[in-house]
Amino acid sequence: MDNATTILAEINGNIGTVGYGLAAIGPAIGVGIVVGKTIESVARQPELQGRLTVLMFIGIAFTEALAFIGIATYFFMTN
Amino acid sequence: MTTNAIMRRILLWGGMLAAAVAVIGGIVGWIAAEGAGVASALVGTALAIVFCGLTAASIVLAFKASRGQMLSGAFFGIVLGGWLVKFVLFIVLVFVLADQDWLHRGVAFGSLVAAVIGSLVIDCVVVATSRQPIVDSDADDETQGRPASGARA
Repeated sequence: MDNATTILAEINGNIGTVGYGLAAIGPAIGVGIVVGKTIESVARQPELQGRLTVLMFIGIAFTEALAFIGIATYFFMTN
Repeated sequence: MTTNAIMRRILLWGGMLAAAVAVIGGIVGWIAAEGAGVASALVGTALAIVFCGLTAASIVLAFKASRGQMLSGAFFGIVLGGWLVKFVLFIVLVFVLADQDWLHRGVAFGSLVAAVIGSLVIDCVVVATSRQPIVDSDADDETQGRPASGARA
């Protein structure tokens, strides 16, 4: 090869879509774990349903906050 | 305090936070980019508060739809379905807004992050200060006639 900077592959499009993918993986796993564990806990102790729902909400809120910031970062800060 | 009351308080305090972030973000936006900065701050704040508030709203709605039964398809269908739809809408909105010339991206992003973190703080404070009973008074209904776990016959 005569040129060290030869292009091997070229990708067109918005890099924000890749950012969306990366920002979706973590929160998706997080919400899955939060909801799954809450169902497990309520099945074991139904009388704790009220408290567990609120704690589940806190878990979902934190994971989705990460997703919001991650997605917005790629779309707002890349162009 | 019931779960519904906690969610409603979170929504109420979230509205107040939105007003505060919009005012502070608007001032910063005006300094950074005048009219476009103010509009960007309002857009960022609205995006964050509406989409964060939808989680609490979906839980209130889901409890009503499932008649207080958490272990039901209706409850998780509404909460998780709402989560999915919310993110699709958020991505579409951000995708459209990112190409707008009038939007000051730095101000919009800053106000969005401030509002998201603020709403997390509100969630934690409201839950920490709420006086929720450890054992639900409706436990008999939730077990549908069966004794609750740990109960002796």
